[in-house]
Amino acid sequence: MRTIIRRSAAPAAIALTLALGACAQGSATRTDDAAATGGPVTVRYMNFSANGGHEQDLDAIKSAFESANPDIKIQLETVPYDDYFTKLQTAVAGGTASDAFELNYENFVTYSSNGSLAALKDVDGSAYKPSLLEAFSADGTQYGLPESFSNVVLFYNKDLFAEAGVDEPTADWTWADEKAAAEKLTDKKKGVWGDYQPISFFEYYKAVAQAGGEFVSPDGSAAAFDSDAGRAAAEWLVGKSGTTMPMEADGAGTPDFDSKLFKDGKLAMWHTGIWMFGGMADAPFDWDIVVEPGDTTKASAMFTNGAVVNAQSKNQEAAQKWVTFLTSSDEMVQKRLETSWELPPVADESQLASYLDTGEPKNRQAVFDSLDATVLPPVIERQQEMQDAVDKQLGDAAAGRTPVDEAVAKAAKAVDALLK
Amino acid sequence: MSVVGALRPTRRPSAGGASRAGGARGSAWRNRGWVLLFLAPSAIPLLMFTVLPMLGSVWVSLHSWNLISPMRWVGLDNYRGLLDDPTTRHVFRNTLLYCLGYLPLVYAGGLGLALALNQRLRGRSLFRAAFFLPVVTSWVVVALVWKWLLNPSNGLVNTVLGAVGLPQPGWWTDPTWALPAVILSSAWKDLGFVMVIMLAGLQAIPADVLEAARADGANAWQRFWRITLPLLSPSTFFVVVISLINGFQVFDQVYVMTGGGPSGASQVVVGQIYDLTFRYGRAGEASALSWLLFAVILLITAVQIRGQKRWVHHA
Amino acid sequence: MPDTLARGTAVPVSAPEPPEEPVRTTTAPAPAARAARRRLRPGRALTLVLVALGAALMLFPFLWTVVTSVTPDGSLAGGPTLIVKDPTLDAYRTLLDTLPMWRIALNSFWVAVASTGMQLVTGAMAAYAFARLEFRGKNVVFGLYLATLMVPLQVLVVPLFIEMKTLNLQDTYAGLLAPSIASAFGVFLLKQAVESVPRELDEAATIDGASHLRIFLQIVVPLVRPALATVAVFAFMASWNTFLWPLVIIRSPEFMTLPLGLATLQGQFTTEWDVVMAGSVFSIVPIAVVYLLAQRHIIAGVAHTGIK
Repeated sequence: MRTIIRRSAAPAAIALTLALGACAQGSATRTDDAAATGGPVTVRYMNFSANGGHEQDLDAIKSAFESANPDIKIQLETVPYDDYFTKLQTAVAGGTASDAFELNYENFVTYSSNGSLAALKDVDGSAYKPSLLEAFSADGTQYGLPESFSNVVLFYNKDLFAEAGVDEPTADWTWADEKAAAEKLTDKKKGVWGDYQPISFFEYYKAVAQAGGEFVSPDGSAAAFDSDAGRAAAEWLVGKSGTTMPMEADGAGTPDFDSKLFKDGKLAMWHTGIWMFGGMADAPFDWDIVVEPGDTTKASAMFTNGAVVNAQSKNQEAAQKWVTFLTSSDEMVQKRLETSWELPPVADESQLASYLDTGEPKNRQAVFDSLDATVLPPVIERQQEMQDAVDKQLGDAAAGRTPVDEAVAKAAKAVDALLK
Repeated sequence: MSVVGALRPTRRPSAGGASRAGGARGSAWRNRGWVLLFLAPSAIPLLMFTVLPMLGSVWVSLHSWNLISPMRWVGLDNYRGLLDDPTTRHVFRNTLLYCLGYLPLVYAGGLGLALALNQRLRGRSLFRAAFFLPVVTSWVVVALVWKWLLNPSNGLVNTVLGAVGLPQPGWWTDPTWALPAVILSSAWKDLGFVMVIMLAGLQAIPADVLEAARADGANAWQRFWRITLPLLSPSTFFVVVISLINGFQVFDQVYVMTGGGPSGASQVVVGQIYDLTFRYGRAGEASALSWLLFAVILLITAVQIRGQKRWVHHA
Repeated sequence: MPDTLARGTAVPVSAPEPPEEPVRTTTAPAPAARAARRRLRPGRALTLVLVALGAALMLFPFLWTVVTSVTPDGSLAGGPTLIVKDPTLDAYRTLLDTLPMWRIALNSFWVAVASTGMQLVTGAMAAYAFARLEFRGKNVVFGLYLATLMVPLQVLVVPLFIEMKTLNLQDTYAGLLAPSIASAFGVFLLKQAVESVPRELDEAATIDGASHLRIFLQIVVPLVRPALATVAVFAFMASWNTFLWPLVIIRSPEFMTLPLGLATLQGQFTTEWDVVMAGSVFSIVPIAVVYLLAQRHIIAGVAHTGIK
């Protein structure tokens, strides 16, 4: 029996696996057959951003597209963000990824640099906000179109400010103003905290920019945050923990913690994304937003998602048509504004006018004012490893396990290693 | 016992141990047919859907592959790299510590429960069901509850510890205590599983043996150590083998409770495998790591099976 | 190595049969024991209290799940509580509005039933072969079976997916079910059960001219029914909760199973926890019912695997 296994079964099985692996890369997907027969082309589109409440909105955009393009059918597949990349990677490995799919900016570079994305042809760039369009190109080639964006602003509880007799934040605030206010607003006995800002990569890269520093050197070959600005940024975030901001041991970082704290009226200032507007709409107190305070300069975090076409798709042309419609059509703009989905990436800001008076918060203008000085997250091919490395060191610093300077140096070293 | 017991009277004493193979030598060929018939339904799917992917992962382990670009042959580099990487030692050490902490807890707890619920108690079957409920509850919910119970500042556990003057660890926020926190909640969740097996073992211990010991003046403690525990040793063996095979592949609870943190302090082997495959695009190293893990599990299982003769008591 | 594995694992199984008339301490207490128990009353009361406390601790997460699911605007922060102010079924309504829950649950149910059924058939047959048939390399083969339990699914998913794609089984029920047609765990458990069936029974039948198939179906299967129930519960549970494989192999909404559906309730930035908890209740209750129904068989079943 052993002999049999050694002599025949194992090599046969390995050979089969090899064969499987070989045909997997680059072969056609099932839905391509229709194209050959002349019927309507089916374009499969996988995304994460419609999950959790906007499924129907995406469906409406799809219907609008289909009535404008009767020869193309769109098959939507919506996967929750947490599982999206597991699924996408497996599908790419198996050669069955959908014709078009969504990528957040942070993951775009990994896919574009591995040849997974089709170069888009004859893109009309005038419809898009230039910085966003630029984000989805690499080496002069447009590999994706910006689909939406959102940014981070400072939420504040007006009632708490009034109670403590502290002036409300303005767009001119700096870190020092925020810190002074946070200290006055924190009342641990009452369980009220002055400030909340996650101590993580996404806050840190922005803080580095606010302090006038760079995260990665201009040529992208090394980390640049082991600098005064980088240390100041880490100090700024870490220094909040336990003084004006709850620590991990208080529950910080657990699901729902910060939103509940704010909604319960126990948090005066909160650095978070505009995606929280909906959840706070029925908060039982007066609140508003303002552009985030900066240090030596202003910088607001921006997140953007894009739509890309699979390099292995047999329907690239149709897929690009869909992706274009999805990212620039009036129907899309209207739907996104109507439903407070993430904002459309349109060049013409007048199209966004209706957003300003859609409801709470009143100062929605701050969302657009933030755009005057935005900073996109640094992206490298080994993105997730970089984020994890930075998170780890910041976490150690916040918990007091590592002095801040040392943590910054260690994080920079880790990022350097990933850039090699 | 009921079914076997009921049928036993039909046994024919004359059957003895005689001609089990029927026509003996001449039927060897036919016998092979029977083997094929009975094994094929499980062997074919296992070969196709488990063994073949296993061989596939051996193949992957010899490559550098991020899942989205073509594979690049690197030979044994992945294995060499892992053996040199301190992270590998760290995650294996954590996994081993997990098993060492988890197994005694879940075994002692499950056994204690089984002993308690083997007595005639009011509502016994409901209690059994209650203790089994965590086994079927999702880790997401269990983790949330345990993170609250073990909350360093106001969790129930630390409140109690503080009240009796004991130190209050930082649990999942402290690199030293994160793994113990995971162990504690895992043991709690799997108590019901062990309980069910030990309960079954207990039921098979004949009362007259215990009764005889009692008549000889053995107290409850002596009866437990001298009779119950030795007679339970095959159940113990089963629990240990299965728990270690599963324990070495611990993942879900670490993922949801600590995410391997803080600062990587509670990362385990399969957690690392998951990160490497799906988050870091290093599928080749992940496969290599899983074969190192395979070697360890195989070794440990084999050692246990060899060693069982010394302590597993067969009535 | 696999040789020793298989031989070793056979040991608990070939252990002598249980005594002729196993007397349960609980069902047929001798008079002396009864007297003894009376003396032990305080101890027993203490046990009862401890067990009840333990059970409360065990039930707590589930009760909290239920409570959160009926709490308006239910949130997880602030610590679990069992007090509900203004209970509402809104979360369940939202759940049923957002997801075709009945369809999804039915999907999960049929997939679980199918994989359980297949594992029972394939497992019992393999168990019979390992326990009752003699063949060369048996221990090696059994060792291979066990080895399939030792590689984490996380690294098998991608090769398996590529294989399914080649077989054109992605996004089909067949592809979804393929990896759970047989399980070595079930084979292992059932093998022990079959080995604890007295050989005299099938030997007698052999003399009467019965084939292996008949012995298997008419003697062995009825005798290991409790063990089959045990395997059934674990197989059902495994299928019901499995997430990673369905996630990658399924893409049409009509094949969606419960864990996939529940995952969609968690947003990238925000999550309505009361709805998530309602979904959890939705998925725990059926499996708890399955366990309650099978409880008697499970306890008797493990006893029958020859582990005692």
